Amino acid sequence: MRKLFIIFYIIYLGNTQHAFSQAYQTTSGHVEFLSNAALNEFKGKSDQLNGLIDLDKNLVDFYIDLNTLQTGIGLRDRHMRENYLETTEFPYAEFTGKVVDMDEALKEQFKNGKEVMVDGEFKIHGVSQDMKIKGTLKQSTDGEVLELSAQFKVLLGDHGIAIPKIMFYELSEEQTITVKANLKSP
Amino acid sequence: MKNIVFLLVLFFLSNCVLAQLERKPAEENRKVDLIFHAPRHINLLTVEPLEKKSLHFAIMHTFGTLDGGIQNLFGLDNGANIQFSFEYGVSDRFSLGMSRSSLDKVYDLYGRYHLFQQTYNNSIPFSVSLMGGAGINSVDYSYVTEPEVSFSDRLSYAAQVMLARKFNDKISVQLSPMLAYFSNPLSVFRIEENENLYLALGMSAKYKITGKSSLTFQYIPNLNNDLKNNLGLGIDVEAGGHVFQMYFVTSQALNEQYLLAGVNGTPGEQFRVGFNVNRIFAVGKR
Repeated sequence: MRKLFIIFYIIYLGNTQHAFSQAYQTTSGHVEFLSNAALNEFKGKSDQLNGLIDLDKNLVDFYIDLNTLQTGIGLRDRHMRENYLETTEFPYAEFTGKVVDMDEALKEQFKNGKEVMVDGEFKIHGVSQDMKIKGTLKQSTDGEVLELSAQFKVLLGDHGIAIPKIMFYELSEEQTITVKANLKSP
Repeated sequence: MKNIVFLLVLFFLSNCVLAQLERKPAEENRKVDLIFHAPRHINLLTVEPLEKKSLHFAIMHTFGTLDGGIQNLFGLDNGANIQFSFEYGVSDRFSLGMSRSSLDKVYDLYGRYHLFQQTYNNSIPFSVSLMGGAGINSVDYSYVTEPEVSFSDRLSYAAQVMLARKFNDKISVQLSPMLAYFSNPLSVFRIEENENLYLALGMSAKYKITGKSSLTFQYIPNLNNDLKNNLGLGIDVEAGGHVFQMYFVTSQALNEQYLLAGVNGTPGEQFRVGFNVNRIFAVGKR
């Protein structure tokens, strides 16, 4: 009897695998922020962006452990984590949303690379904001890889990250975020 | 019945895969950030490491004693002992530094090595670093004739073990057993005693008051002589990539050997104003 269940289960899994073919994932996406203040311009990077794009369910879900961001100066990273992002309390930056106007016709266009709008919620420092992000999705011809690139701006003040007045020269209120990821179908 | 439960659990598990990603930390044993604000804390070195290929610049001052009041602008007129230092991260664990202190015009060469670093999950409960250095006094002693001051007379050495722990977001403490050795402690040197070897226990503490500033404390009791002990109280402020450290301290000395051997007649009797600026630069690409 049990054997039968397992056989059924394997058949079921086989079916879900089929459904999975439209779900793409990565654990090594690239994310970069640019702070462009009057006196000081610097970048922070991480190659540990985790992401899921499920075309069937129309789910776009990304998160990054902010502790993996590096600006090139260790002490600056530590100050950023402890004083601004407060990563012991809020370790992740997250985005969850939906592709606007997703339908079969739109999906067909991903093969050639298509600019899409994703409507969702961006959360950092424990504060969520609704956000519409424009990005490009490109599906490989065999359908195995989905290439994502996007750029958007985040205002630190929108997420309760205060910049002391004396710091305005060195740290920009507006951060430009660039995301590049190759998501693979599992 | 059991089988049905088994089946349901399997179905449930396989459906879960399609929901949002589970948020997982990238690293389990993450090192603690900022036990202290900078590699310097009042006058002592800390366990705060420098990343490979980064350069730490510190300029430190201590002025005259406060007792002259406004007439001497609380000691600022009496001239400062100034030390500047450059320390370079050779690797993430080892850094090499050079400093120059105006007191006896001493040039120091030193290294710091970080054995362990405290982690947030307490798999390593505290940080341990080692420091060793040598200094040379470069004052023109040509007026001293019998006997003349030789090159080796001018040498002095310092070593310490630094043990530090960040207890919580606010409180960090460091204990630094230290030694200083003067190869020939001549009376023309601006030190208080004429012993070769000085032992002390450096204590540093930080109490965070706001996101970017902390109250600071230092106490360096001497262990093998009657010199008065060095006491310092101050505030650290982070501002735009700089760490400013303002403090009241009893000794004018800034490098390890002179901190332990005592200076200026009456070490430990009077407070003076002190002021450090720390800045870290990235050097080259990585």
